[in-house]
Amino acid sequence: MSTLGLSLKALLSHYWRYPWQALFLLVGLCAGVGLWSAVQVINSHARASYDNANQVLGAQAHFWIRAQDGTGVKTEDYAQLRRLGFREVYPVVQGVVTTTTNQRLPLIATDPIVLPVEALETNTSAVEFNGLAFMQAPYQAWFPPDLAKELNLQPNDQVLLNSGYSLPPAVLQTQAQQGRQVLLDIAPALQVLKRNTLSYLAVTQLSATRQHQLEQVLPQYLKLVPNRQSLDLTQLTQSLHTQLTAMSLLSFAVGLFIAFNAVRFSLWYRRPTLRTLRLVGVSVRTLTFAIGVETLIWSLIGSGLGILLGYGLSQVLLPTVSSSLQSLYGANMGADIVLQPSTLIMAWLLTLGGLILALAMPLWQQLRLPVLPSSSLSTHWLIDQRTRKYLLIASMVLSTLAMILYPFISTVVQGFVLLGIVLLAGAWALPTLLALSLKALEYLLPNTSFKSRWLIRDGWAQLPALRTAMMALLLALTANLGVEALVGSFRTSLSDWLEQRLSSDLYVQGSSQFDLHKLLANPTTTDWLTATNERTQVTLRLQDRPLILRGIDHTAPDTNDLGITQSVPNAVEHWRSLDTTKNWVLANEQLHFLGGKAVGEVLELPTPQGLKTFTIAAFVHDYGNPYYQLYIPNPVLKTYWAHPEPWNISLWLKSPNDLPKAEQALIEAGAKAGDWTAQHTIKEVSLKIFDRTFAMTAAMNSLTLWVAGIALLAALMAILQERLPEFAQWRALGVSTTEQWLVMSTPLLIWAMVTWLVSIPLGALLSWILIHKLNVMAFGWSMPLLWSMQPAGVLALMTVGVIGLTLVLVAWQLKRQLPQALARLGGQA
Amino acid sequence: MRVLLALIVMGLSTLSFAESATQEVYQVLRQDAKGYAAVTPNRVFNFPQDHAPHPEYRIEWWYITANLTDPSGKPWGIQWTLFRQSLSPQPILTGWESNQMWMAHAALSTPNGYFPAQRFARGGIGQAGVSTESFAAWLDDWAWQSTTIEPFPSTLKFMTEDWALNFELHSTKPWVLQGNQGYSQKSAGNQASYYYSQPHIEITGTATRKGQSTSLKGTAWLDREWSSQPLAPNQAGWDWFSLHFNDGYALMVYQLRHTDGKHWLSGSWIDPKGVSQTLKAEDIILKPHALSTIEVLKAKQRTPIRLPLEWTIELPKLNKRWQITTPYPNQWMAAQFPYWEGVVEVDGGKSGRGYMELTGY
Repeated sequence: MSTLGLSLKALLSHYWRYPWQALFLLVGLCAGVGLWSAVQVINSHARASYDNANQVLGAQAHFWIRAQDGTGVKTEDYAQLRRLGFREVYPVVQGVVTTTTNQRLPLIATDPIVLPVEALETNTSAVEFNGLAFMQAPYQAWFPPDLAKELNLQPNDQVLLNSGYSLPPAVLQTQAQQGRQVLLDIAPALQVLKRNTLSYLAVTQLSATRQHQLEQVLPQYLKLVPNRQSLDLTQLTQSLHTQLTAMSLLSFAVGLFIAFNAVRFSLWYRRPTLRTLRLVGVSVRTLTFAIGVETLIWSLIGSGLGILLGYGLSQVLLPTVSSSLQSLYGANMGADIVLQPSTLIMAWLLTLGGLILALAMPLWQQLRLPVLPSSSLSTHWLIDQRTRKYLLIASMVLSTLAMILYPFISTVVQGFVLLGIVLLAGAWALPTLLALSLKALEYLLPNTSFKSRWLIRDGWAQLPALRTAMMALLLALTANLGVEALVGSFRTSLSDWLEQRLSSDLYVQGSSQFDLHKLLANPTTTDWLTATNERTQVTLRLQDRPLILRGIDHTAPDTNDLGITQSVPNAVEHWRSLDTTKNWVLANEQLHFLGGKAVGEVLELPTPQGLKTFTIAAFVHDYGNPYYQLYIPNPVLKTYWAHPEPWNISLWLKSPNDLPKAEQALIEAGAKAGDWTAQHTIKEVSLKIFDRTFAMTAAMNSLTLWVAGIALLAALMAILQERLPEFAQWRALGVSTTEQWLVMSTPLLIWAMVTWLVSIPLGALLSWILIHKLNVMAFGWSMPLLWSMQPAGVLALMTVGVIGLTLVLVAWQLKRQLPQALARLGGQA
Repeated sequence: MRVLLALIVMGLSTLSFAESATQEVYQVLRQDAKGYAAVTPNRVFNFPQDHAPHPEYRIEWWYITANLTDPSGKPWGIQWTLFRQSLSPQPILTGWESNQMWMAHAALSTPNGYFPAQRFARGGIGQAGVSTESFAAWLDDWAWQSTTIEPFPSTLKFMTEDWALNFELHSTKPWVLQGNQGYSQKSAGNQASYYYSQPHIEITGTATRKGQSTSLKGTAWLDREWSSQPLAPNQAGWDWFSLHFNDGYALMVYQLRHTDGKHWLSGSWIDPKGVSQTLKAEDIILKPHALSTIEVLKAKQRTPIRLPLEWTIELPKLNKRWQITTPYPNQWMAAQFPYWEGVVEVDGGKSGRGYMELTGY
């Protein structure tokens, strides 16, 4: 065997002897790579889905044909287009139904027989769906399996709707781009949605000539619009994916800490091996090469196993992410995940990079040390002291850098860089704080007691080994607290805002046949109705993002408290003045934070009467909306757009007991059961959507904490391995078990407490940056930071739990191994 | 005899796409006709009303084939078929919930190739149908339309691949009721259909591709048939012929191939005035010759298939005997349910031309 082979064998033999270290190295690598790659897989899957967003159920949709006023496309106009030979056109119905358990189910329906999916040898359309059963009573409702699982559906179950209808028998099957929607034939969809028009017609690719021909024959009320969904989704969801990536990078960093820990100990152990190898004449170059090969081997094993783990994890996390994307952006993700080669290569490169930092560099440094032993434990402590100093200096430099950078941060990515800097600064300052706490303990404990002096000295000995684990713990605790505060603040703000915005008792949906005038003409309404608000909408584009003009009744009760965040003086009065020279509008915050608009600023918008200017009177909260939105009094909106699309109508009742009367009057005015929703249902649904949106964040968050727990466990186990002969000596010297445990665990508990304490202000800082910088830049939503100590308390308990578990494991190991160590000690003697 | 074909093709969509399902597809044809209107003898036909759909019956079609000649005398052909199926016994005629399903097959046969196409549409929404206010049969922009209540004179327009086809159809001849006064028995059991034809249609028009038009002229044949349960359990496929003779006579013969070799034969001999004479099994001798091998697309794979493309038809009582061959062996309708249908020549074209349909191979 060559020298290289022998050196490599000698280096690697270490892991046979200390499998714990190999295990922790692997755990660190796998945890880091696994979480990172899970998010990568999900992100690239989502992005691939956006690329397909210009398709509907597997068929191209480069254009939509929609009604100008948003009402819907008549079936006879669709059939007429087909008879004119426009076979590029196919019908789609989309809508949302509510189940009797108040779950909102998005539906998508088409005519499978004309869906232009390539399936035949001939170049014509075909039925890719396996059966006319789909299009004939009792029909079929195709549920994506994860949605079916959520609803606890078995094949052939029929979901009951609160409108009294039920969906067709369930089939657990999906078509391309179905996402989390339920797929139906048009006939049952129109029935359960109680509609008689199609939502839109999708149009496959058109040549310029063909597009012109189609535009020529379209009835007046229809318009042909290019499908920009793919572009929009990519842009709108950018921030969400950046956030996920940042979370995964954090996990990767924590994973690396574990690996780093493991490596430290393997280094400590292999110093004699390296020295011996050099003494027997192995050149530094050969050893460097051998270390390189070892790094490569670990990187391959680590990234390979990590990817496997990540792939499995992505399968588990995907339903959560896709439901967030569906409810936030209406993006549909398929269920099957493909592992991209680029993810594999990136995972490997990241692992290799991390390992070079954690394994190769220290090994190489070790190589450069003189061959003959010079370092004793005390020099090691000295080195540690120096390291702590360097880390502290670095931490201060980073803090200063963060403060300098803060005002210049303007993108989500920059925001995360800032976060990274802050976290790292905190982590690197920690060893000094830990040392200080030990010093403080030294002052507090009686100097005369031998035991206390021993305890302190031993603490110093443990510090170099434990500080990395404590830094990992700090990162995890901080991230956890920060994210908890973000989610908690957001949830409170959202529910307060919903409380404020959803003040009316009943909402009647826009597609309903309900006639408000007919209702108001009903003399009984005076008994129970106090106010109404009829909302309409017009959709435009601004800065390449959809802009919704929401027409509302400017006198309605819910316009008294709009959640204004900043405004010109007397904004609401201006807005209510219906001044069509200024055209005052209330804009959502998104337009301020993402669109860069200010109060008093004038927007130039295309109207059917040409370009018109609109003045921003104020910005209002609009949580959960990915689009720009302007609130315009209906009379002003209708000055420019005579027939805006109906959105919804809200009704305020005198008393909740009037509900039956109100429902009766609604039915008399043309509404059907299920057309209206009670306020509390909407609130429930909104909060449910919110919780789903943050479920992924919460999942990542707790996973990171687990990884940190493992890091701590790994560090302690490694220390145990390292110190086993020492413990044996202690035993031989007559140290009791209690004394030994006191010495071992006191510094550990103190440091864990210090770490936890440090994590609180750092977590608060993190959440502050998340809320005031990142969230605003990512979504355009501002909110106050609401700090609660409860999560910190929970984390304290969890940390104590992890330490307790670790100590139990250590005790068990000790009990098992101590006799051997003692025997060895005896042998040496 | 196209009833089986139609049922099979439309029935297929009720099954999965697997190629191996072809045999199962035949089961659809043997489904009980319970709930649908039954085909019984002695029906009185009523025109033009009977040109309209009969949705109480499960299956129905409007089937046009034409033998055409280009200016250089070369044979061309077209097939244009509209199939209707009631997916359940009680007809629902309007709205998206209609249980009427429509399918169209079209093909152009030229000296330079064969161009088939198929289309589907649901009934009830106006995308496909047959109306008799002024006669029209259509699916999307494939349309056969008259300006009057009568199907002739009329225009026929459709596309297949990049060909645009436009024809005018004329006929003044009487309708030919096939079988026993339009009652066409398909087996010794109660399998039967209502069946009438117009064998004498003059057709002129153009086939246009990439801006180049070819004018075409010839004779077309229309078959109208509807039924509810046409196939007996032991029938595996069929061979069907419609022939136009140069002397103005026309012949329709078919055989339903029984698994035991005792095939079910039937036909009619129609004089130039449109007066027909029913041919019974014993009046017809139908003999295939050597099998030819053609390559067809099956599951996107080029697959060789053996077909009887050469036949002898003999009517001993009339003392007639012809050789049937095709100038274009590759007239394979590669639809969901594939079959061979195309232009044939009688005695090498000397005696006449026609269309042949071969299924179950």
